[in-house]
Amino acid sequence: MVALAVAGVLAVFLIYTAVGGSSTPLLQPSNLAGHPGTVSLTGKVVGPVAGEGQQAGLRFSLHNINGASPLVPVVFHGAVPDMFRVGRDVNLTGQLQGSSFVATSMTTKCPSKYTATPGT
Amino acid sequence: MADLGRAALVVSFLLTLYAACAGTYGALRKERGVADSARNALVAAFFSTAVAAVVLALALVNHDFSFAYVSAHTSRDLSTVYALTAFWGGQEGSLLLWLLVLTGYGALAVMLNRRLLRDLIVWVVPIVGAIAAFFSFVLVAVSSPFVTQTPPLDGAGLTPSLQNPYMVAHPPMLYLGYVGLTIPFAFAAAAMISGHTDERWIVATRRWTLAAWMFLGFGQILGAHWAYVEVGWGGYYAWDPVENAALMPWLAATAFLHSVMIQERKGMLRVWNMVLVALAFELAVFGDFLTRSGVINSIHSFAKSSIGAWFLGFVVATAVFSVVLILWRLPLLRARTKLESALSREATFLYNNLLLVALCLTVLWGVLFPVLTDLFLSQPRTMSRPYYDFFLRIFGLPLLLLMGIGPLVAWRRASARALLRTLRWPIAAAIVAGAALVAVGAGSSRPGLIAYTFSAFVLTTIVVELVRGTRATGSLLQLVGRNRRRYGGYVVHAAIVLLALGIAGSSAYQTNVERQLKPGQTTKVDGYRLTYQRFQRTPSATISGRQVTNTAVLGVGGRGHGTLDTSLVESTTLGPSHEVGIQTDWLRAQDLYVILEQQNADGSVLFQVFLKPLVNLIWIAGFVFLGGSLVALWPDAREQRRLVARLALARG
Amino acid sequence: MIWLILGALIAAAAVAVVALPFFRPAPDEAAADEAVAERRLELIEERDRALAALKELEFDHRTGKIDDADYRELVGPLRRTAAAALQALDALGAKE
Repeated sequence: MVALAVAGVLAVFLIYTAVGGSSTPLLQPSNLAGHPGTVSLTGKVVGPVAGEGQQAGLRFSLHNINGASPLVPVVFHGAVPDMFRVGRDVNLTGQLQGSSFVATSMTTKCPSKYTATPGT
Repeated sequence: MADLGRAALVVSFLLTLYAACAGTYGALRKERGVADSARNALVAAFFSTAVAAVVLALALVNHDFSFAYVSAHTSRDLSTVYALTAFWGGQEGSLLLWLLVLTGYGALAVMLNRRLLRDLIVWVVPIVGAIAAFFSFVLVAVSSPFVTQTPPLDGAGLTPSLQNPYMVAHPPMLYLGYVGLTIPFAFAAAAMISGHTDERWIVATRRWTLAAWMFLGFGQILGAHWAYVEVGWGGYYAWDPVENAALMPWLAATAFLHSVMIQERKGMLRVWNMVLVALAFELAVFGDFLTRSGVINSIHSFAKSSIGAWFLGFVVATAVFSVVLILWRLPLLRARTKLESALSREATFLYNNLLLVALCLTVLWGVLFPVLTDLFLSQPRTMSRPYYDFFLRIFGLPLLLLMGIGPLVAWRRASARALLRTLRWPIAAAIVAGAALVAVGAGSSRPGLIAYTFSAFVLTTIVVELVRGTRATGSLLQLVGRNRRRYGGYVVHAAIVLLALGIAGSSAYQTNVERQLKPGQTTKVDGYRLTYQRFQRTPSATISGRQVTNTAVLGVGGRGHGTLDTSLVESTTLGPSHEVGIQTDWLRAQDLYVILEQQNADGSVLFQVFLKPLVNLIWIAGFVFLGGSLVALWPDAREQRRLVARLALARG
Repeated sequence: MIWLILGALIAAAAVAVVALPFFRPAPDEAAADEAVAERRLELIEERDRALAALKELEFDHRTGKIDDADYRELVGPLRRTAAAALQALDALGAKE
């Protein structure tokens, strides 16, 4: 009985904090428009890539991972992660400012090991 | 040769299917011959799977590119060792590894227990058989490692980031852990089906669970070290879904390892134990599903593939199976005894279980959040580090404290007086440590300070236990030898304390700054003097194209010494990657960790410098953990003799 | 070609291994004997559990986790449980 009660309290606590909102929306370039605040944006890097990370800002564009979509211009201030290049899928954290997405952190996805059909 | 591999897998599939069907029939009808035949089939399935594995291994070593798998994951210039690790580098091969370990474990468990636990084994065979049949079906029909093609001139090669010793050890170790959790699950299910829900299945699977838990735990520490040293983003755990996929079953298994002790002594918590073992198994399979299906966004992300649907079906089917079984046997499982006192070792184990399961569910919630919000809110949202850190502290710190109190509380009922008397040294140690730490400035982080004081508390309790026990028995060796599980467990607790210290130190008290230096410039970071000495540019050609290694050499003075190299490798095909420079100060137990972030046009270089106190305790903890688990696992000749004698006496 | 032959051999070996128990049936003990042996095993396990609990209680007492008052309270019932298990075991043995 005690166990159930404690578990119940914990569950409520959990749900409360979870919904309460230390969560960020996961977006793609196609549905980025209009989302205020800090969001997490995932997409494929499209060239040309100009500039450098840190103060000056690395500039590139992003479109949906699967298929074409409107391009979102990105300005990135921060440490450029390993394996960043055109064609790589990346995840950015930042805010939409005007028409550009200004990001402060970026992670790349390891090139896929587990592909559906080997050899393709 | 691929034909042989394919044939062997078909044979494995048919054998495991037979084991599942005939085994069920033989168990239901109590037909000894059929049950034995099913058992033989399961054992034979290991050998046919082994044949398939050998075929793949040989193809890899011989660079046989007529195998599509070999050409997709290796290349001619790959050394033999890494060609072999490519076995588990891809979807099909890793599935084959899973099946190999599963049939191997299954065969061993069944053969070892065939006489002692006949009533259980007749059901274990079809359950393991069914699980193995699923995996072999996937290998035969959905995702075969033996697809052939006209051999290209050279293969695609193994991703360079996977060509390191960690790739040799980390995945197999994790698999030995994940798959190992199947055996206790199968025995638990067999216990429920056969109606023998007493402690016999627990005693039989005790070492299996411990071994699986050990491999899973050590495998995760290996992964963390890999991330820290090779991947080099400045940390060792990112709460990435694939990382969590290994953590969750490990937490459930930890809870299970403790709560079975209560069932063994008091016959309580039987339902809870069934739920836990099923949860651990489900989470292991679910983790496998997460890793392969691409359903969840992850750094380790893999392409979405059809295999996800099959795995999801399997996860659901096994979950339904477990729930139905537990509900059916609920009357049989209900406890006949109650908890006598809120201050007893049983109670502390219960609290420990609640905390562990709470943490496990927290992580699960975080992992599923994007999927659930996508389903119900049409907008996927993700939980980030602060969420996990918060709950790790809320649940982890009390767990740490309990680790110290638990062993000193008596079973059944403990008097508060006796407990306080036993705890006076640990409490004193904690107060002294706390005061000393505040004096040196550790008060800057409250969670860190709490973690440190609790750790002092727990370490002192372990010492107290060892001293008292030695005084009672006469020699430490005898003490440990006579009760390997308990004292092996204390060593594991010590490992967890080291882990807690390492995590607390390297996160709560770390220094993280950026410094831009021109050649010849010096900067000071917390007692270290870093001088940017010179730059080296080394072009090279590898199978993945041309690359240039840009190395900055830093002179380290003050607390450090010598030089530190940190590099940024630019590859034409793969993009940039970092090779971080780490200098370990063993005396102060901290790491100087430098990342070369950016070279500027004016010749200056931007460095990210970390100072990570106590981080190496995490790696040391890994070995202590291994040692403690091995002590607890070690076969006890006396125990074995007793079991055999018991059976002989019963048989008359 | 050789691979197919090897594959066929593996399949044949598998069939043989699976069929073996049907040709060499293991001796089957009478159901009644099985039930008695099962009951005896249960009692032995109960006895061992009670004895282990006693041993642990005494160890905890010696190392100071339980004070004298609690020990006196707990040791009586445990000794009785162990004795009862031993008696039941003897009774079962006497019936044979």
